[in-house]
Amino acid sequence: MSRLPWLAGIAALAAAPIALAGFHLGLLTEVLILGLFAMSLDLQLGYARMVSFGHAGPYGVGAFAAALLMAKAGWPLPCALAGAVAITAVVAVPVGWLCCRAGGVAFAMLTLAFAQLAYAVAYKWQSLTGGSDGLAGVPRVAGPFGLELFTGRVGYYALTVALVGSALLAARAFVASPMGRALVAVRENEARAEALGFDPRRLRLAAFVLSNALAGLAGALYAGHVLFVSPELLLWTVSGHVLVMVILGGTGTLFGPFLGAAAFLMLEHEVSALTESWALILGFIFIVTVIVMPEGMWGLGARLLRGARRPPAVEPRHAAP
Amino acid sequence: MDQTALFVVQGLNALALSALLLFIALGLTLVFGIMRIVNFAHGAVYMLGAYVGATAGQATGSFWLAIPAAAVAAALLGWLFERLAFRPLYGREGTAFLLVTFGLALCLTEAIRLTWGADARRLEPPEFLGGVVFVLDEPFPSYRLFLIAAGIVAAGGLWLVLHRTRLGLLIRAVSQNPAMAGALGVDVRLLRGAVFAIGCGLAGAGGVLAVPLITAYVGMGASVVIDAFVVVMIGGMGSFVGTVAGSALVAATQTFGNFYLPEMALGITYALMIVVLLLRPGGLFGEEE
Repeated sequence: MSRLPWLAGIAALAAAPIALAGFHLGLLTEVLILGLFAMSLDLQLGYARMVSFGHAGPYGVGAFAAALLMAKAGWPLPCALAGAVAITAVVAVPVGWLCCRAGGVAFAMLTLAFAQLAYAVAYKWQSLTGGSDGLAGVPRVAGPFGLELFTGRVGYYALTVALVGSALLAARAFVASPMGRALVAVRENEARAEALGFDPRRLRLAAFVLSNALAGLAGALYAGHVLFVSPELLLWTVSGHVLVMVILGGTGTLFGPFLGAAAFLMLEHEVSALTESWALILGFIFIVTVIVMPEGMWGLGARLLRGARRPPAVEPRHAAP
Repeated sequence: MDQTALFVVQGLNALALSALLLFIALGLTLVFGIMRIVNFAHGAVYMLGAYVGATAGQATGSFWLAIPAAAVAAALLGWLFERLAFRPLYGREGTAFLLVTFGLALCLTEAIRLTWGADARRLEPPEFLGGVVFVLDEPFPSYRLFLIAAGIVAAGGLWLVLHRTRLGLLIRAVSQNPAMAGALGVDVRLLRGAVFAIGCGLAGAGGVLAVPLITAYVGMGASVVIDAFVVVMIGGMGSFVGTVAGSALVAATQTFGNFYLPEMALGITYALMIVVLLLRPGGLFGEEE
């Protein structure tokens, strides 16, 4: 990809606080956070064909971790975000080890069960999580070294842009790395990749942990954005919605999920203003997308731009061992 | 209160719950076994059965008419959806079906909310099932005994259809090797539609049977479908015996868990599933993929 779209994107994001009023800046922040959430799922879904139906799990764990670190332990915002990512990643190792034993549909069901387990814990552990009421009034604790820079609306937006951008670069680096190429090799032909000496389970576990850590970051950013967390964040509908975003945007593209998240939020805002039953329309759009547009918005756009017949999202190339 | 009687009553409660779970899980496992499709909309179909049944029961005043009405409505929907949404997808990987049925779950839930509104619907069982019977001097609702019987009839009936009829023979043939069955002249597409319709019909019947216990409400599908997934995963995807065992196990865990460890009950079921899959990744009676 040429450098121009990157520069244009950075310029647009930098100009946003000047051009957009408060509400819309908040909305853009939310799009970026949800985009990061969806992108983290795309790492599993697009590059390893691991369909997680429990991605709300790491998202909610990250959100609760950040909220609790700030509200109960009084950690400054950046430290709480880092702590939340670390906690999510540590939780993801045993969960991923277990889930990656299974493939396909069983993997989907296992991830779903773990997310529901997390929901059950968050719902019942009232003294820590506030139970069904959740935790309201999470503070954005400023740090000692002028870190209150990030606690305002524009500052939080800037922090979000920086972190989401870094996460995107990290994900791209992972996908382009030998490990990422090996993961794609496993996706394309597991038996052959195994014969070449790769260990599919360990590769999947690596993708799972990275994906969950990034989802945890998204959750933590979300908690800092809306300053409220509740067990609803862990509900299976959240896992479903993020899948919708990735599929709408295009799997195996990393950028597509951001597009999908933006489209999803726009649909939610626009359609719910017109009619109460936006879920009906969303579900219908989703069904049609899966059937007629499996490559998603990003894939379709790329195909139209290149005028090619059907370029694969990731060119099948021999992965370097 | 006598401890033995208490235990027996809780055991009967568990059996009644497992009968309800069985209606949903049997359909799930049948559809998965034959079509390799996980139907995420199964809970929404169950909910549709509950609402259609409640409405039909109120309109006709007969509980016995509500059950076939619900089952037929759910089966029709399944048949239609198989034609419209699954047919273009055969040949794609299993996850495409998972996603499409998730879309159906969204649509169906919302359509039910629009049609019936947010209020819960009730349905009274027939008079002779409305009372209680005494088990070891403890009162026990006779409707729950009826549920246990219905669960046995459904599981037995499905087993007989699968193993003792020509339709069942063809279904099993398609599940073993669809290409070969098709080459031998079996209409595989028609059979898949029929299987999906049967699975949905079972869920619809389960839905209406649940109404006298828990009423019909929006959201009843979401809570039950996760339990049914757990049942099927514990028993082994596609295994008939496993589904029966899994539903009994999950129902027992939930019933006794709620009674003895109410704080933990919600988590114990998932923990049970995780332990089973740790020991046997394919489920208790399933084969490893």
